Amino acid sequence: MNSAAHSALESMRVIDLSGTVATEYAAKLFCDYGADVVNIEPEEGFQTRLLPPFIQGTSTSALHAYLNANKKSVSGPIEKNYLERFLRKSDLILYSLDDHKAMEAISATSANQCCISWYGASGAYSGYKGSDGCIQAMSGLMRGIGAPGEAPIIPPGYQAQIIGGLSAFNGSMAFLLGQLMGNLDEHFKLDCSILEANMCLTDLGPINRLNGNEIPPRMGINRFPPTYPLGVWPCKNGWLGVTALSPSQWKSFCQLLDLDEFIDIDFFDVSINRYMSIDVLEPAILKSLEEKDAEELFYRGQEMRIPLARVPTMEELLEIDQYKTRGAFTPIKSDSKAFLAPSSPFRLLKTPAVDHRVLAELGEHNGYLDKL
Amino acid sequence: MLKGVRIVDLSMGWAGPLSTRNLADLGATVIKVESCTNFDWWRSWEATQEWIDDDGAEKALPFLYVNRNKLDITLDLESNEGRELLLKLVASTDAVVENFSGSVLPKLRLDYPELKKANPELIMLSMPAFGATGPWKDFRAYGSTVEQSSGLPHLVGHADQSPTMQHIAYGDSIGGLNGTAALLIALWHKRQTGEGQFIDLSQVECLFPLSAPGILSQSAAKETPPRSGHDQKIDCPHGVFPVQGDDRWIFIHIKTDQEWQIFSSLVDELSDLNDLTLVERQRMSDKLFASIADWSCQQDGQVLMKMLQQNGIAAATLNNSDDLIENEHFQSRGYLQWLERAYVGNQPHPSPPWRNGTETIKIKEPAPTLGQHNAEILKDWLGLNEAELTGLKKRGIIGNKPRL
Repeated sequence: MNSAAHSALESMRVIDLSGTVATEYAAKLFCDYGADVVNIEPEEGFQTRLLPPFIQGTSTSALHAYLNANKKSVSGPIEKNYLERFLRKSDLILYSLDDHKAMEAISATSANQCCISWYGASGAYSGYKGSDGCIQAMSGLMRGIGAPGEAPIIPPGYQAQIIGGLSAFNGSMAFLLGQLMGNLDEHFKLDCSILEANMCLTDLGPINRLNGNEIPPRMGINRFPPTYPLGVWPCKNGWLGVTALSPSQWKSFCQLLDLDEFIDIDFFDVSINRYMSIDVLEPAILKSLEEKDAEELFYRGQEMRIPLARVPTMEELLEIDQYKTRGAFTPIKSDSKAFLAPSSPFRLLKTPAVDHRVLAELGEHNGYLDKL
Repeated sequence: MLKGVRIVDLSMGWAGPLSTRNLADLGATVIKVESCTNFDWWRSWEATQEWIDDDGAEKALPFLYVNRNKLDITLDLESNEGRELLLKLVASTDAVVENFSGSVLPKLRLDYPELKKANPELIMLSMPAFGATGPWKDFRAYGSTVEQSSGLPHLVGHADQSPTMQHIAYGDSIGGLNGTAALLIALWHKRQTGEGQFIDLSQVECLFPLSAPGILSQSAAKETPPRSGHDQKIDCPHGVFPVQGDDRWIFIHIKTDQEWQIFSSLVDELSDLNDLTLVERQRMSDKLFASIADWSCQQDGQVLMKMLQQNGIAAATLNNSDDLIENEHFQSRGYLQWLERAYVGNQPHPSPPWRNGTETIKIKEPAPTLGQHNAEILKDWLGLNEAELTGLKKRGIIGNKPRL
């Protein structure tokens, strides 16, 4: 940790019994801010140890290392009563509804619990199998991505679980804070559905629909009615991200691209009118962009108060000054190798996130429970 | 749960207001501060006099659902009187939240050093797109700009297509959830020590954990991650397949050889292939996908999802908004709660995503109208009298209607 700093959550102990991406991300947030996080792993380790990408030349999952750096690892057969005693000494137990061993372990335990599941612990689909894609399909996110007439595009990675873990952290922290403030004098048992956490991305759809508004079909890659221009476009050198919402942003964007012919047309001041005129506007925009440098447009556009973006590849991302100067990526050590991984996205200036990150070996802390 | 926590919310749009809505849903008192001339742009970014005369500011659905359970006052922060009243309010609050670009609050002399003079124990969450430091700290951005700047589009879609955005404003929701997390950690610390602090949140950096497999592929595996469409390189089949109806689809994810054996026994064309290993399935994925699509397109999506789930296969229909309203699972979980609100009548609100035990957390109040709580807060909390309130109204420092 930052040697001079105090960690906000250093008095807490959090147990992860299940080791899914979602439980591990929730536990990671506690760990980043100083909590003592203990993974109780099966003998073969949590399943996330098998997830790519792997650290070059090793069989160590870099994703597992990112999610679990600085946590303690206890593994192997643990006698039930012994585990229960340990669980009772914890501030929070995280587990997955799919994990029957964890469900058994916590069944007789009196402690704060947070159950993270795909669809929730109750309801018509509570027993359904899930995955990140299932959540993105069911929440309505997936059907909006991609070209009309083609299969919608699946968002990659474990985004749904990261969002679920983040939301479960929020619920757990709020209830722990409620206890600290004297608003809750008993243990809590939170039911956190990854699906419901992900609905924050798509809630507006049903709300709009129930107010009689039509929901546009999938219109194409980087097409988001009623807003235009909004998307990612190729330039002479690199990709430019564009969002021009207000009339002034649109006029400035036209000026930036030397599209003077559109500036004084009042009809185009309204976003939906521009969207309906894509056939006219887009060829001119694309033609102008192909002659210009993305980086230069980005800086000139921002000077003109247009919210433009460089759209970096992963290789470029790690080299961007803005992110380097802020320490947005910091090293994790594992297997005597170090690699950059995302830092905490928020900085609490007096109680910063731990910045020295090391992955423990499986079972490295097997004697730890005896010491408590 | 958070009764006794008080937040002053200067944020606008989606991200900041979502971060405070989560706390309001959990019982914190959140006071939203707007002004009649600088109102939350989530009410409209194309305001006209006609829109004002039609009470458009009170009818914006995105604003209504993200500001429920809050109080609302108006204060012209460009005036000395408005600024002084805000400082008084801040003096008795736990935290202030803002998501302006970097130069706005210093110009108003309302940045953290100024606010801290009014309340030395203050928490302040600042959540601009690129964070409070660095060469891009003052750059403008929306949630879409945040997604674009994070590089995430380079991981989404097919290699022969443009880098693909996932959402009109992906950065907003994710920034909002992270804002809630940051506030809760700081509130915990404050309750333990009495110490406030400044929180510097970058909405772009909030998306990096979602891109982690791609970032780590580059930094740890030393491989540039491709945009690989439906092939996520771990399990197969893992894809979207057509079902009966116009633009209707199902997502199917086979995770193990055992699941493959069950699944292939359900599809006539695949029944001879139930011994395929993962590597073999990946090698002939085009053929398998075509066979599955030929089979799935003859089936009703809901019926197929249920049949696959009963057989232990992860499958989900790609819902649209109507599906979400009618879905039996969402209904059984109490997804929507309805609240009566001035100007718009009975309105649906998505339930908070947590429950302690089995009960959904009840939403208590709909979104406030502009300046709805001016009298309550300025009189009861800050001690102003009726004449002073009238004076503020006359001078345009407070009000209930937007002005251009």
